[in-house]
Amino acid sequence: MSGTRFEYEPFPDLDLPLAARLGQFPRQPDLFLDTARALGRRAAAGFFRLQFRIEVVGAAPDLPRLALMPNHQSHLDTMAILAALPERYRRRITVLAARDYFFERAPGALAANLFGQAVAFDRGAELAELRRWARLLPEIREGWFLLYPSGSRKRLEPHAGLAGVLARSGWPVVPVALAGTADAWPVGHALWRPFRRIRVTFGEPLADATARRLPAELLAFWEAHGRLDRIAEGDAP
Amino acid sequence: MGTEELASDPLRFYTVATVVTVVVASGLLALLKLPGAWIPLRTWFVILPIALGAMWLGQGAWTVLVAIVSILAFKEFARVTGLYRQPLFVFLVYGAVVAENVFAFVGRYDVFMAIPTWAVLALALVPIVLRRTEGMLQWFALSIVGVVFYAYFLAHLSYLYASSLGLGYLLFVLLMTQLNDALQFIYGKAFGRHRWTPISPNKTIEGSLLAGATIILLTFLQAPIAFPSVPPLGVLAAGLIVTIGGQVGDLTMANVKRNAGVKDFGTILPGHGGLTDRLNSLMVTAPAFAHFMGYLFGGFPT
Repeated sequence: MSGTRFEYEPFPDLDLPLAARLGQFPRQPDLFLDTARALGRRAAAGFFRLQFRIEVVGAAPDLPRLALMPNHQSHLDTMAILAALPERYRRRITVLAARDYFFERAPGALAANLFGQAVAFDRGAELAELRRWARLLPEIREGWFLLYPSGSRKRLEPHAGLAGVLARSGWPVVPVALAGTADAWPVGHALWRPFRRIRVTFGEPLADATARRLPAELLAFWEAHGRLDRIAEGDAP
Repeated sequence: MGTEELASDPLRFYTVATVVTVVVASGLLALLKLPGAWIPLRTWFVILPIALGAMWLGQGAWTVLVAIVSILAFKEFARVTGLYRQPLFVFLVYGAVVAENVFAFVGRYDVFMAIPTWAVLALALVPIVLRRTEGMLQWFALSIVGVVFYAYFLAHLSYLYASSLGLGYLLFVLLMTQLNDALQFIYGKAFGRHRWTPISPNKTIEGSLLAGATIILLTFLQAPIAFPSVPPLGVLAAGLIVTIGGQVGDLTMANVKRNAGVKDFGTILPGHGGLTDRLNSLMVTAPAFAHFMGYLFGGFPT
């Protein structure tokens, strides 16, 4: 007897709790979450534009894959960049966010994933995580990543880390400078201050961005175009 | 509230009975210190208020709950089998779930019965529209399982609410099916020696028979409240439908899991697995009971 047997291919994340599923990359197709994310990012960007006066300088290049690398000073940074981009670019973005901060519990993971397009990056196991991404990145043909090379709102200087892995994997790196977000929602404050002015500056893709030179080049761009408020040590995380 | 008043209102009766059962079960667990039994019981503390709360709110709330739960349960099935990678098939099954529940809500039995036909015909169009053959028989077949079990069968829970004889039918089949599952597990753990099927190795002859006997006894005890006009033979049949039908549903979905090589359909219900792991018995008992009662004893819109 000839014929084709049914072959079942269960989704690999069946056993994962919701927070872990939301944080995984590559994402598994999910009609509910994909739809919710499309609505969530539009709603968040619209709300952000109502709350703040946003000024965009330059433009992100229309490349199939690239990595946006902004300075990090506030919880508003991701929303500012998403609001500064048109929807056709915004939808391509995957934001890398700390697993220990955003993806430990379902409510936080839902907010980060649905409104901020975030997936989890495991800072606790950085070396293993970097190896995983180093294997993954060359296979990805399309998509934009947004990550903060400084790793924290309290740190100013970028470090190579995943940014270096992206650069080594041949991903075009676009520096982004944010100004005003630290004033609009300072570290340690429970709520944001509406109607502040925020400026988002997109740079040209860094030519030959080697992992070693990348931190210095990013820092130079941020210092030239962003108001870099150094956060006092001892402030809230 | 007097006993007679309680007996004349199935929703009140079953709400009180459920609270008493849960309290007694919690006490027994604390006493016996059964390992691993607290987690599923804690999940019941969430499931039961949601289900009974929706019934207290009314037919609309109950129907919406059944539709949402059916869609989420089918999503689990589609993720386990891989069907979820075929969005057109999945959308059509979701559409069938919504349509079945809408027409159960408005009491259009003719349309309720016709929807599976239209849904399967719509599914048959998918390979033609996509102009594809590879894997299509598998996706088509799995989608039909979705339409039948998750749209048509589960929507009988919405349809049972529409009975002019009150909520007794619905509450009986809902709560006794779940109790049957729990009793099989408990009796099986306590007295089970002989396994009777490789599809679900935890099932034992002792667990199944003792659960069946208990359910039939309980069916006779609650018959005056759940379905007062049904004669003893009908009551016996109702008990058998719940206990045998529950096992058929359980084993049907266990078969899907064995074929796909997974343990549970999901993780949304701690201690139980996925929604399908909790609903699999109801997928068979709800339609079997509804049609048995409807055909012999009436009470439903036609």
